[in-house]
Amino acid sequence: MTTPINTTDRNVVVKVVDLHKTFGTLEVLKGISLDVHEGDVLTLLGASGSGQTPLLRCLNYLEQPTSGETYIDGRPLGFQIDTAGRRTKASQNSINALRMEIGMVFQQFNLWPHMTAFENIIEAPLRVKNLAKSEVESLATELLERVELLDKKDEYPARLSGGQQQRVAIARALAMKPRVMLFDEPTSSLDPELIGEVLGVMRSLAEDGTTMIVVTHEIGFAREVSDRVVLLHNGGIEEDGSPGEVIDNPQSARSKQFFSSILH
Amino acid sequence: MLDQVTSIVSGFSLFWEYKAVMLPGLWYNFLVFFLVVIFGVILGLLFATMRLNTNIAIRGIATFYIGLFRNAPEYVTLVWFLYVPALALNKLFESNISFDPLVVAVMALSLSAGAFYAEIFRAGILSVPKGHIEAARATGMSRTLTLRRIILPQAIRQMLPEFFNECVSVFKGTTLVSLVMVPDLVYGVNLVSSYTGQALPLYTGIALIYFFIVFLMTSVAEKLSNPWRNKAS
Repeated sequence: MTTPINTTDRNVVVKVVDLHKTFGTLEVLKGISLDVHEGDVLTLLGASGSGQTPLLRCLNYLEQPTSGETYIDGRPLGFQIDTAGRRTKASQNSINALRMEIGMVFQQFNLWPHMTAFENIIEAPLRVKNLAKSEVESLATELLERVELLDKKDEYPARLSGGQQQRVAIARALAMKPRVMLFDEPTSSLDPELIGEVLGVMRSLAEDGTTMIVVTHEIGFAREVSDRVVLLHNGGIEEDGSPGEVIDNPQSARSKQFFSSILH
Repeated sequence: MLDQVTSIVSGFSLFWEYKAVMLPGLWYNFLVFFLVVIFGVILGLLFATMRLNTNIAIRGIATFYIGLFRNAPEYVTLVWFLYVPALALNKLFESNISFDPLVVAVMALSLSAGAFYAEIFRAGILSVPKGHIEAARATGMSRTLTLRRIILPQAIRQMLPEFFNECVSVFKGTTLVSLVMVPDLVYGVNLVSSYTGQALPLYTGIALIYFFIVFLMTSVAEKLSNPWRNKAS
């Protein structure tokens, strides 16, 4: 007997409340509110410059929001409320602790070039989480197997293709066993023939119930893999719903225009 | 003609004859070299990190220091520190103090070298792409851990050749101490030369000695930096 999962019954892993971000005089995020539930795959779509990347970077505090709140598993990110109810800036330690719960995959991979694929993966669990070496090594082996790169474990990033580097970067983020994975245009700097292998890994993560927030221009991936699609326009949420609703039946004229321009 | 050749050859034998006067001088060169590299690197690290600080006042102090000492000839710095502070103090307090030339020389040369090391370290640190640092911070790494594990290993590779070049410059610069009465090898040769009148073989001799030492240092530096440079990218 299967009953449809009611989203409100599942934990909210990422909660965003009225997030604003301003660069100089340019407001790139104009009050974003979002709840991402455990196991959800949320895709952020939009024309370049609509604010997807700043939003994602605010979610792990690589970018400091100008105002608004972010909670990871109910824990405030970058601020704390004292007993008198005043909001104060959080310590760097508490930000670091929360970042361990948030995996990030970058457009430019950003593997550390002086470490092998294997060393890239074990670095953070070993030094940040202080886990036992044997435990971390077997985890890294498992993850490399999962992204099908065990044979490349001792290669330096410079000797790997873009697609291979990005798969190692995904394994590196997963090694921290984060509560949510953030993907910032993970296939945008890949040659077309290498995109598939990265999307394949992401698809398998989604099938295993990983909570994911993905900024991408891959509409096909968004339609097939995500549970929810959010379309940003000019720093605000333009559409929010299932892939069927947002991609195939957008409401506003602007969203219709966006999808017709990329889908023809 | 034959006479002249004999005189040159016998001139070289002067080195042996006066080794007790001159060779201890070489130890002064090495002593100054090691001290200046140690203090210079400490100053360099300090001012490089200050120059990368977000605080404008801290950055300003470092920029001023680096600008001042990088653009002043080392000899002028050396002489200034030897005489000016002592003169000023003596005038103020009607005292009669003077500073030890060796201590002043090490201090002045360290301040000069520190400015150059600071720029080398800064360039090395800046050569690490921002994305590599963000990837580290995104896993929850602290600033210090990121510096130690991600930034420095890459920065050191980048700066190693420049670093060794500066060390060689420091060694060459140690001969300046002879000008403020520190008895290094050049000082010893000056002394012996004016005593014996055999300038040609003596100065050719130390030119060869310094060339040989610097050549050796450069070769060792290359050997040391190669394994670092070959690893990765």
